Parts: sequence; C-alpha cells; structure tokens
Amino acid sequence: MSATAAAKTDWDQPGFAGGEHHEPSFIRKYIFSTDHKIIAIQFLVTSLFFLIVGGLLAVMIRWQLGFPGAPLPGGDLLPDTMAPGGIILPEFYNAMVTMHGTFMIFFAIMPLMVGVFGNLLIPLQIGAGDMAFPKLNMLSFWLAVPAGFIMLASFFVEGGAAGAGWTAYAPLSADGEYTGVYLGQQLWLVSLFILGFSSIAGAVNYVTTIINMRAPGLTWFRLPLTIWSLFITSFLVLLAIPILAGALIMLLTDQTLGTTFFLPAGGGEPLLWQHLFWFFGHPEVYILILPAMGIVSDILSNGARKPVFGYHAMVLAIIAIAFLGWIVWGHHMFMSGMNPMLGTTFMITTMVIAVPSAIKVFNWLGTLWRGNIEFHAPLLYSVGFVSLFIVGGLSGIFMASTPVDIYIHDTYFIVAHIHYVLFGGSLFAIFAGITFWYPKMFGRMMSSFWNKIHFVLTFIFYSMAFFPMHGLGLEGMMRRLYDPTQYAYLAELQPWNQFISISVFLLAATQVIYFANFTLSLWKGEKATANPWRANSLEWSVPSPPPHGNFERIPIVYRGPYEYSSPESDEDFYPQFVPPRQKTAPRPEPQPTAD
Amino acid sequence: MQHGESAHPPYMMIWVVLAVLMFAKVGVSLVDMGRGMSIALLVLISLVSAVLVALYYMHLRFEPKKLWILAALPLPLIAILILTVIQEFR
Amino acid sequence: MSQAATMPIEERAPEPGLGIYNLKLGIWIFLLSEVMFFTALIGSYVILRFAHPDHFAAPGEVLNVPLTAVNTFILICSSVTMVKAYAAIEKDDQKGLKQWLLATIVLGSTFVGVQVYEYIHLVNDGFVPDAQAYVESGLAGGPLYSSTFYLMTGFHGVHVALGVGALIFILIKAMRGAYSSQRLGGVEGVGLYWHFVDLVWIVLFTIVYLI
Repeated sequence: MSATAAAKTDWDQPGFAGGEHHEPSFIRKYIFSTDHKIIAIQFLVTSLFFLIVGGLLAVMIRWQLGFPGAPLPGGDLLPDTMAPGGIILPEFYNAMVTMHGTFMIFFAIMPLMVGVFGNLLIPLQIGAGDMAFPKLNMLSFWLAVPAGFIMLASFFVEGGAAGAGWTAYAPLSADGEYTGVYLGQQLWLVSLFILGFSSIAGAVNYVTTIINMRAPGLTWFRLPLTIWSLFITSFLVLLAIPILAGALIMLLTDQTLGTTFFLPAGGGEPLLWQHLFWFFGHPEVYILILPAMGIVSDILSNGARKPVFGYHAMVLAIIAIAFLGWIVWGHHMFMSGMNPMLGTTFMITTMVIAVPSAIKVFNWLGTLWRGNIEFHAPLLYSVGFVSLFIVGGLSGIFMASTPVDIYIHDTYFIVAHIHYVLFGGSLFAIFAGITFWYPKMFGRMMSSFWNKIHFVLTFIFYSMAFFPMHGLGLEGMMRRLYDPTQYAYLAELQPWNQFISISVFLLAATQVIYFANFTLSLWKGEKATANPWRANSLEWSVPSPPPHGNFERIPIVYRGPYEYSSPESDEDFYPQFVPPRQKTAPRPEPQPTAD
Repeated sequence: MQHGESAHPPYMMIWVVLAVLMFAKVGVSLVDMGRGMSIALLVLISLVSAVLVALYYMHLRFEPKKLWILAALPLPLIAILILTVIQEFR
Repeated sequence: MSQAATMPIEERAPEPGLGIYNLKLGIWIFLLSEVMFFTALIGSYVILRFAHPDHFAAPGEVLNVPLTAVNTFILICSSVTMVKAYAAIEKDDQKGLKQWLLATIVLGSTFVGVQVYEYIHLVNDGFVPDAQAYVESGLAGGPLYSSTFYLMTGFHGVHVALGVGALIFILIKAMRGAYSSQRLGGVEGVGLYWHFVDLVWIVLFTIVYLI
C-alpha cells in the first residue's frame, strides 16, 4: 500500500477529514477528482448526456415507426449513409435500435443508478470520509468516459454502428457479412469491455467501503435500504460483468481472428452466446432495478413520515431477488430452441421472483398506509415508480409463462414490459433520487413546482406512449421492426403507432422541463439547508454540499434510518446521528455492535 | 493472521505436496484407466491443489470466517452456469 | 497475538468492519470477479468440449505436455517464493523480501517466456485460432480446440504478465524501503493475486493438457 493511500485511510485519527486540507487545483478538484461527491456529479453529467443521446435515438425510431418513409424533420443534417434526404435507412434503423438499448442500459441507467447514487450516497450514508480506494474510483469514471465515446464514435465509422441488437445475438453479430457492420460491431464490443472494467472498479470500491468503513454503531440492520440495495447490486456487478467480458472477448475473436465460438460453420454454438449473455443479462436487469427499489424505499418513508414497513423483509427481499436473478436467465430464451426441460425449470424459478417483488410492493404500500403524507416531488416520482413497476411486474409474469411467451415473444409486448420496468421503474426512481439528493449534491433545491408539473406530464405521456404497446404486441407487431405498414395486418394498426409516436414526442419534450429545472436550479435554486427533507440518515448531518472529507468527526450512529414520528423525539423525525435523550440513554455512547 | 513468528504455515511442505500432486496428475493422464476414472481423479487432484493454495498461500485458513463466505460466493454460480448450459447438449 | 495488533496500523478499519484492512478486502473482492471471468472462459470450453468431443484431440497428441508440466512446476515454485517474500517482510527481513520477490519475478517471466515459445511452435505446426486455417492444417480435432486453447491460456498468460509487472513495481518500492512488518499491504495484495493466478493455472493445466 502506497504512502499516500495509507494516509487517506487514517481512520484512527479523530477529526479525520479525508486527506489534504489545502484547496486542490481546479483540475484536481473537478476533472481528475478523487472526491466521491465530485465523481458522482461527473457520472451524473455524463450519463444524463447519454440519456439524451438515447432519448433522441428513441424519438427517431418512433418517427420511423409512426411515419415510415416520411423524411425526418431535420434529418437532412444526418449523413447520407444514415438518412439520405432525411429518410431513415433500414441499416441505420437497426443501428438506432441497437444503440438506443445499449446507451440507455449501459451508459445511462446503469451509471445513473450505480455510478451516481453509489458514489454519492455510500460514503455519506455510512459516515465515511470517502471511498476505500479514491483513486480507483477516479479510474472507474475515467474508464467509463472513453467507453461511452468509443460507442458514440462507432456511428461514424464505415458500415455504421452495431446493428445486431443490444443483445448482439450470434451469429448475426459474430460475422460482419450478415449485417454489413464490421468495425461498428467491434467497437461496440471493445467499448462494453472497457465499461466492464469501470463497473468492476466501482463495485470493488462499494463493497469494501460498505463492509469496512461504516461509522461506529452503524450495524448491518441500521443501514438505509439504499445502501443495502447498492451493496447487493455491487455483488451482482462483480459477478455478472466478468461473464459478459468473457463472452465479449469470444465474440470479438469470432469477428477478428477467425475463431468460431458462436459460428456453427466452424462447430461453434450460437446458443452459448445467448446463455452467457443472459447469465450476465438477468443479473444486469436487477443491477438496474435494485438501487431504484432502495431509493424509493427511503423516499417513501421520508414522504410518509413513517418507518419503512417491514425493514427486515425488505432487506431479505433484496437478497432473494439478487439470488433468484442468477437462476432465471433462460426465460429470455424460451423461443431460442433451448432444451424444453430447461424451459420449464426457468418458468418456475422466474415465477418465484414474483414473491420477493410482491413483498416489496406490499411493504411500500404498507409504508404509505395511514401515513401523514407530505407530497413532495421525490415522493410523487416514487409513487409513480411503484405504480408503473406493478404494471411491469405483472406483464413480467405473463412472459414468464412459456405458453404465453411463445405467443408474445419478440413483440411489442416485450418492448412495453422493458420500458415499464426500466423507464417507469428505474428512470422514475432516478428522477426521485436526483430531486431528493440534488440539495446534497449542489447545495440548492430544484423547483418543486416544475418538478411536479414534470412528474404529472411525464406520467401521462409515458402511459400514453407505452401502455398501447401491450396491445400492439398482442396483435403481433414485432420488436425492432423497420416499417409496420409493410404488413397488411399491422397497417391497420398504424393509427396506434402514430398515437404512440406523438406521445413519445410529447414525453421527450416534457423532459426539457426537468433538464431546464436541473440546470437553472444550479444558480437560481433556493439555497438548501443541511436537512431540507427533515430526513434521518447520516448525509443530512453535514452541510449541503458537504465539504471535502464529508464529516468533521466520524459520526456515531444511535438508531436505524427510519425513525419517523417516533414518540422518543419531539419532532416527527429522529436522525441516526442525534444522541438519545438522557433519560432513555444511560450510556453516553452506544456499544459498537459487532456486525 | 494468528500465527506468530514460530507458527508459519508449512509453506515448503505445501510446495512439495503441490509439486507431487502435479506430477501425479501427469502420471494419471499417462496411465490407461478408463476415461471417466481418469477425469474424476484429475479433477479431484486439481481441486485438492487449488484448495491448498487458497487455504495456505492465500491465508484463507487464518482469515475471519466471513471472508470464507465472501470467497465462496462465485462457487454456486459456476456450478449453476456450467451444469445448466450443458443440458443443451446432452 | 490478536488480529488487530498484527494489522498495519495506518490501515486499520473502524469497528464495524470485517477485521481485514481495506486493501486486502478489496483484492479479495476483485478476485471474486476474476473467478467469474475465468468461469466464462473455462465454462465455455467445458460446454463446447462436451457438445463437440470430436473437436478435441487426446492429451499429448497436439500439445506439448512435458514442456508444460515443467512450466507448471515453475509457476508452483513462483508461488512458494512469493509466500516466502511475504513471510520475510512479516519478520522485517528486507533482504529476504527483495530476494524472494526477485526470484518470483524471474520464475514468472520464465513461465511467460516458455508459454510464448510454446505458442510459436504450435502456430508453426498449424495450430492457429483461425477456423479455416486450422481445418486446412490437417491437425487432429477441430478449430474449437485451438480457439478455446488460446482463449484460456492466453488470458491466463496476460494475467501472469500483469502480475510480473505488479511484482516489479513492488520490488522497486521494496528497494526504497516502503515495506515493513507493519506496512505490508502491497506485498500481501500482489501475493494474493499471484497465488490466484497460480490456482487458475493448476485447473487450466489439468483440463486443457491432461483431460
């Protein structure tokens, strides 16, 4: 261990403030920063950028589906290899569908969940001065950036960006002659490989920090559910991403070195790719949703001014979901020609996941039940999360059943489902989380009024855009379809596609409100106090934004994070860091409980 | 690490055992004892060697039991992945 | 001796931890993901071999088992020299640390060198990853043999090479006197990685060369 790193973890010193006290230079402070709060903001800015990129791709996809063959407004700005005269080419459409999925999953939702909230909240909520390995943390961010730009650059290479779908099924992805995309697909593989390093570096940091650096008194069952979910998520990242990395390498050598791991011509097995991909891919789904569940639990409890209903059950449900996530991957492959015996097994394990998910939903409802609810914007987003997650969860049960899935596989029903859990689920939780912790990040409040307008409009346009997709799927509209009107039975449904497209345009326009609110509040927002939401966890004990090193002294934790409306406190909240009143606390310091 | 200066794990002994096990594996692969038997023996010897390295060279034996749980996390996943996917090709 | 007493003072975690300092815990957690990475590679090999036994030749038919057995022995030796380096610094034996680290570096580089030599010979024999060229070479088995071989041994070799790099870094720091019985996190961390790589090779040697 190097001398500098050793000095940073000098936990025995009272009044430890996380390293050097002199003001670092601008570059050290904001560009190559090792401060977890700055890295969280860096992740926030870059992943919001990629969220916009993915959103614009979605808008263009919907233009093509709603108005196939019509020139895209402003589309003549695109090069002729993508959209000559503004008319989107089929090859470019394939690339857009692939890249929309890739950007949204790997470069927007995943870093927003894990990169932003993991970095921001883990040290703050466990009472640590920084991460266990601040330099590794910086490396994690600076690997994610080139990965993102390599992915972006692949649009502009010969043959265009990868067009084999975000799942890159072999052999379509394994040999460029099928899609006409060679370099684009290879860049896709390289980019995700680099991003994998970034994610693993982050996860190593999170797990070490949570295990080893909790403040005295912060036992496992006093952790906020956000930390629990990020902890479990980090294990999923650690154990799932390397599987993807291995599979990516094999696909890359199939593309470049002439190997045939996934190409039947040389004895390879395309199904092996699907198995490896989804063995990674299903835990990945929970990487995207578990932190959302944790964030929502915290915010619902805060808004309802009540303890989380069934805290231990919530923790066990997170663990159960994470474990079950490893034995359900085959439900993505019911139609792949997989061994039918496996199909039945995967159907049963998948349905079992409904149990912990339902426990979580009922506990959220139980948290709100008879609460003295304060309808602040983060609460509204969280309630939106719960309701839309229920819809997505229910459609998930449809697809888990093999006989039903045979009918709806690879249709817009699936598209509806994934958007219900990833947009309605994860993204609503991200809106909730950003709004809730915005004051802690930037020291100012977002405009509550505009947040509420944004929430209502997003909820309405979201439902208009995605709910009808269930119906289109049942009618047989295929996902990744370039032009629905080429089939007579789908041409009849074209008004629905136009309705969805217009809803998506309105939904996209609504997001401008959020981005404007986000940006303007940086300067115009009301100055935030240390604890604007009257919340309990440790991050609210320090100023907004917290200084370098976070805590002047390592805080001592006296209770769990959900002591709202406690009779032992004069106020309706009872922070973790407030010492108990003398009559209830004969000892001045709690016994640091062994974990 | 609970061992003082006098109570090192027997590093050299384990080295000898590992070397013997390795040459035993080569021997097993040379003797014709039926493919199933040979594979079973080879895998068994490799596992013993691997466990020795983990327990003594990586000091797992002297670490808190919670680290054992942590270190064992991937093992069920390895079994799940390989045993499931192999069903495709039976 | 209690656990806390032998732990490097400046790296001691606050009370509710695992009782292991951060760097060591971090390395262990990183090794978990390394296990999964090799699971993807080795698992694919096991599955492909199970699905297509005709692609794989009998032990010794194509690959040079005696050479690799010696190479395996070299890697096992490097593990014991590594652990000796750690044992030396535990007793504040600076000279021993440097000598054993140097021995580990030499053995590790030898392993990589032998592997490169082996690769060159195999490629000259027509044992290449390219499926078309493999079929044309007329070697026993099929192209999945060479591609899985290079995949697994290649990525293991990369790990050994990176390990040698890390050891050189540690040796340079050791020569500047950066380690002591109270500050040995770096030596122990690289050691853990090195033993893990050795452990993977024990498995790889068996399933690639002997089965």
